[in-house]
Amino acid sequence: MLKRNSPFIFFILILIFLIINSSEAEKKKKLEPLTEPPVPKDNPLTKEKIELGKKLFFDRRLSGDGTTSCASCHDPEKAFTDASEISLSYPTTRNLRNAPTLINVAYGKYLFWDGRAETLEQQAEFPIMSPFEMNQNLDFLEEEIRIVPEYREAFKKIFGQEINIKLIAKALAAFQRTLISKNAPLDRYLKGDKNALTEEAKKGLEIFTGKGKCIECHHGAYLSDHKFHALMVPENPKYVEEDKFIVTRRYIAKINHYPDYMNVKEDLGRYFKTKKKEDYKAFKTPTLREIAKTAPYMHNGIFKTLDEVIEFFDKGGGKGNKVLKPLNLKEDEKKALKTFLVEALSGEDLKIKVPEIP
Amino acid sequence: MIKFFPYRYRDYSRIAAEAAVEAWRQGKFLEMHELLLKRSPKLDRDSLISYAKELNLDIHRFIEAIDNKKGSDIIERDLKLAKELDLYVTPAFYINGIKVLGVRDADYFKSIIFKELENVKKK
Repeated sequence: MLKRNSPFIFFILILIFLIINSSEAEKKKKLEPLTEPPVPKDNPLTKEKIELGKKLFFDRRLSGDGTTSCASCHDPEKAFTDASEISLSYPTTRNLRNAPTLINVAYGKYLFWDGRAETLEQQAEFPIMSPFEMNQNLDFLEEEIRIVPEYREAFKKIFGQEINIKLIAKALAAFQRTLISKNAPLDRYLKGDKNALTEEAKKGLEIFTGKGKCIECHHGAYLSDHKFHALMVPENPKYVEEDKFIVTRRYIAKINHYPDYMNVKEDLGRYFKTKKKEDYKAFKTPTLREIAKTAPYMHNGIFKTLDEVIEFFDKGGGKGNKVLKPLNLKEDEKKALKTFLVEALSGEDLKIKVPEIP
Repeated sequence: MIKFFPYRYRDYSRIAAEAAVEAWRQGKFLEMHELLLKRSPKLDRDSLISYAKELNLDIHRFIEAIDNKKGSDIIERDLKLAKELDLYVTPAFYINGIKVLGVRDADYFKSIIFKELENVKKK
């Protein structure tokens, strides 16, 4: 009996699997209000640790020449960006990409445009030791921090251990997990306050979730699918032929063992790391929260305004991309979409008092 | 207004600042400033002397000035001011009181200047 019905049972199981999967997919493509951010078990948040992380965040000892702190490129006055197309760099060098905001970074599953780190603890070491960012030697940094009595005491008290780079990273991560944008109109709206959005923003929300297809990649509470897509954003013409920029691009290719690194003419994004075909020129889907405060846009800051960004997507993305199709939005639809992005996704300004550095 | 801030980790930043001070004393500051930016990192003593010649400066006075650090009073004064203002990175700019740190492109400056001009119009 069982044997005779087994194709039928198999068919039913497949059907159930498909239904579950499709409802999962549906569930993923909703906008959700921000909840408490995830905190790793091995790095619980405490008031003292957050304060220590904040001091380190603003401490220029973290750079080789003592001129740059994390706050240089993630400036609280500029929504934790540096408002430059290509992020600020170590003196005499040029950075390669735009500095993303740190607001809500606690919700990110991948860090950096190419996603080379998966936790804030992993992330912290990269810019500190990068020759075109902070250019500091990690062993040397440990000693520079260890020589400061206040730091020695704080690390001992908080971690019960001597200072080391992993603990520095943990403290930095703890502080960054507190940078949450609160009370955005979208959150209030999703929690039931139907007056939280203006009529124009509500129209924009409809475009966002419908004709504009933004929700395909920008969903969930973080408004990101945490994936990588090759939209074929053009190279930034201001920098693409600049010697210092070429040096940095070659360097990135070289340290990622890209065989023909001398002839790499574009930023290949996640491909540098994974060498997977689907990652060729793919970059992380950024959160759209606080988008109004974080211009310029895209991984190379090529678009100065949200209008330019909307135009790019409306036209179906960059040349040769296989991800996007033209949207043919009308002018009033583009305007409404922009209103939604600007009004609905901006939370209360974070007020950060620069701490005294020991 | 331009202030001096020789970057401490560059071998020739201090002597280049001395060259600029002396060029200022001889009425050619901006010309020297431009040359220093254009020819950087070639800012060793011999190169600076050749730039001074190019600008038709009084070479004897120029060499005496850079060798004897005659601009140090001005440079030290500016460094002290930078410390007081908590400036630590070069270049640093103030536009209508707005602090701009680090190397920025022309568009970045334009957007600040246009915004400030708009604010003046509104007033």
